[in-house]
Amino acid sequence: MGKKVIDDEFLSRVETLQMLVKNNVAGMFGGNHKSKSYGSSCEFSDYREYMAGDDITKIDWNAYARFENLYTKLYLDERQMHTRIYIDASRSMGYGKGRKDEQALRIAATLAYLSVCQMDKVSIYAVRDNRLEEVIVGMLGKDAYISSIGKLNDIEFSGDCRMTDAIIPSTVGYGDGMSVIISDFLTENDYDRAIDHLASKKRHVLCVQVLSREELSPKARGKMHFFDAEDVSREYRKNITRDIIKAYRQAVHYVTSHISGFCAVRNADYMLVPSEENVAEIFFNKLVGMGVLK
Amino acid sequence: MSFLYPLGLLGLIAVPVLILIYILKRKYTEQVIASTYLWTLSERFLKKKNPISRITGIISLILQILAVVCISLAIAHPVFVLPGAANDYCYVLDGSGSMNISTNGVTRFEKGLSEIENRIRATADGSYYTLIVTGEVTEVVFSDVSEKDAAIEKLEGLAPSYVASGYTSALTAAQEAFTLNPSLEIVLVTDKDFEVHTNVELVNVSGGEINYAVTDAEYAITQAGLTVGGTLYSYEGDAELNVDVYLDDAEAPAATGKFEVVKGEGKTFSLDIADEELSFSSVTVRVREQDALPLDNEVKLYHRESASSYKMLIVSETPYFLKAIFATFGNTQIYVVSPDSYDPISDTGYGLYVFDSYTPAAMPSDGAVWFVNPTASLDGSGFSRRGDEVLGKAYEMELNTSSSTKVQNLLKDTVSGERISITQYVKCGLYSTFTTLVSCNGDPIIFAGSNSYGNREVVLAFRLQEDTDFVLSYNYTVLMRNLINYTFPALVDDGTFYCGDELTVNVLTGCTAIRVESPSGEVEYLDTAEASVEYEMTEVGEYTVTATINNVMQSVNVYCSLPESERKVKDEEVSFSVSGEPSTERRDGLYDDLIFIFILLAILVVADWMVYCYEQYQLR
Repeated sequence: MGKKVIDDEFLSRVETLQMLVKNNVAGMFGGNHKSKSYGSSCEFSDYREYMAGDDITKIDWNAYARFENLYTKLYLDERQMHTRIYIDASRSMGYGKGRKDEQALRIAATLAYLSVCQMDKVSIYAVRDNRLEEVIVGMLGKDAYISSIGKLNDIEFSGDCRMTDAIIPSTVGYGDGMSVIISDFLTENDYDRAIDHLASKKRHVLCVQVLSREELSPKARGKMHFFDAEDVSREYRKNITRDIIKAYRQAVHYVTSHISGFCAVRNADYMLVPSEENVAEIFFNKLVGMGVLK
Repeated sequence: MSFLYPLGLLGLIAVPVLILIYILKRKYTEQVIASTYLWTLSERFLKKKNPISRITGIISLILQILAVVCISLAIAHPVFVLPGAANDYCYVLDGSGSMNISTNGVTRFEKGLSEIENRIRATADGSYYTLIVTGEVTEVVFSDVSEKDAAIEKLEGLAPSYVASGYTSALTAAQEAFTLNPSLEIVLVTDKDFEVHTNVELVNVSGGEINYAVTDAEYAITQAGLTVGGTLYSYEGDAELNVDVYLDDAEAPAATGKFEVVKGEGKTFSLDIADEELSFSSVTVRVREQDALPLDNEVKLYHRESASSYKMLIVSETPYFLKAIFATFGNTQIYVVSPDSYDPISDTGYGLYVFDSYTPAAMPSDGAVWFVNPTASLDGSGFSRRGDEVLGKAYEMELNTSSSTKVQNLLKDTVSGERISITQYVKCGLYSTFTTLVSCNGDPIIFAGSNSYGNREVVLAFRLQEDTDFVLSYNYTVLMRNLINYTFPALVDDGTFYCGDELTVNVLTGCTAIRVESPSGEVEYLDTAEASVEYEMTEVGEYTVTATINNVMQSVNVYCSLPESERKVKDEEVSFSVSGEPSTERRDGLYDDLIFIFILLAILVVADWMVYCYEQYQLR
């Protein structure tokens, strides 16, 4: 696709973000993790090789004396979680000035980083048509993150996206972490069954709806003939008047409130993200406000 | 309705072109967007359509078509005929001196001009306008002008006079116009009330202004110093007036007095300046109070020293009567030589040469000349001798009864009923530059004029002692005094002058140029070929008359006052009536103003723009 969304500069910003998150919140996905400050009462489970950024108090110095390698102890409550991120790779995400695709990639990369910092395993999928394309699978640790996150740049946004048809047949895990769907959700209820499916698998679901500013508040006026980027046979021809703009805004409200309501009923999280919004803003204000980050 | 430029209607061809463009025009802007899902979904929330919005496209087209029609009409310039809406108007504007009276800096004359301008603007196009202004002369400023702007433009630059204007000429002109066109509306704009003004609309622009005046000012040099007097007037109520007297151009008054003046009644006053050795050249009398007409608040009087002495040469064998009469005038240096000893080459430098019963070989060129009983014709003398006329008995001399100024001045104070007899005279033929004062049997016997050198000349065509009893009469003294004054005139005569008066400027011997400068600075050079020139004074203030005499400049100031009749704030005239039966017929008026088309065009353009904004930006 040629986009260079995930680059060194971006990673540097994510690192900074992570530091800030570390200093300001107790951790990520608190709904499924126990906070490490309470981990002293937990039962020892396993060792894991020490990675930069890990809590040094958890290093097993006996093991170091024996193997001359740094290992940290893992406890039962801190079992390995698997964060699965589904990115809508349809053409509607990549078309136009809104750059929804870039925002989707940035959010996915940031969430992935925060996850690996929690020692979680991360998989990222691109959903195109009714297929689930594995971009990164089972990424664990920061080294793996650094080496493989750039693959997000290779995602091509084309075709359409049938989320349900793609996710349901796939392996989604069971009760072992969070599933994140990043999409514009500009489709007629295609996502409903997918969310239901994930929820039934005891996955905590986060729906991130990315919409461009033009989609949220269109500037077009007068006689317009719109063609759909995914399917040119879908068209809309109208003299765009104030009444139509008013109706359009009601449609936007309907779509966002419908997803939001649907998620709320299924104990899933929902977040509307304008494509132009700053990533740090999203993570600090929205995710913390929603309780996704604590 | 007609059109000034019918070809402008070709612009209507643009209407079908516009419709064609409208039909062919691509109306919708095509655009590929990420998803039409939200737009399609919005249909579900769209309320029932406003019917106006369905025809917005057509409204725009209709507005543009109307705009094109307006532009075409504007180019074609339609002219609408309004039956009977126009007429012919004749405005008579009073330009007399009282129209200078002002209120808040606006004179009555300016008010009158403004009134006429407003009236012209208020009339329908197609009307015709005539303007007559009275003043020094009654002038038809414009006649039968149909263009309003052209007529109004000609109002600019008009100014009132300082004279008392007569209305006869204006009335005659108005009457002629009314006779030709009985539907003519005549409007007299004046500051006077007219008891009768049939067929004339009277517009009085006077406004109860206050005016004071000083008049009949004079001075007298007394043993104690100077006494200045005059008469004060207040034309709008009783007043207490302060009068200041200034000598020359002094800033401080030499005398001051306060006088109570009853409205409309003259109040004489007198102010003394005690100074035995007083020396001055002018006296200014001024009313200190401000009023609506400052022109009549001041009078200036001039003190002229007596003329220089007269030097004269009498060439005569028997100069007794002549010498006796000349000697009575003082300041005279009289020299007498016999005809035999007269030398035209050496005997020069006299102001007057008197040749009694003798005719020199050549005319003196440097002074005035008198001939008494001319014995021969002489080149350049202005007359020819045709022989002696012996009457045989005593005939009566006849005084010229002409009303010309020159004759009146020269025969001033003479007694027409006094019989003066003559028995013999010299018959002379005169050139046109001479005026006969006294004649006998139709022959001129006393006449005056200018000779070929431009010098004044007087001829008495008879012997003083032998042929007449003239020298024994009262008229002899009077006529000789008048003739000497004529021979040695002042540059201008003393007197009280009012605007409209004529000033007599005497062309003195050796005078080569006379320049008159009016109070407003206008300069006029007078003709020096005649012995005297009349100059009409039309402005209030100080005139300066400058004569170049023998290459020496000599100046005299003359003060000209506003005529008494023009000082009155309110004045009444008897009649300004036009006779005849007025007609109710009117001209057809024209309406060709494009302003409404342009306003409509602007409205259409704005409306079209609003429709465009409504469509494009929803600025409602």
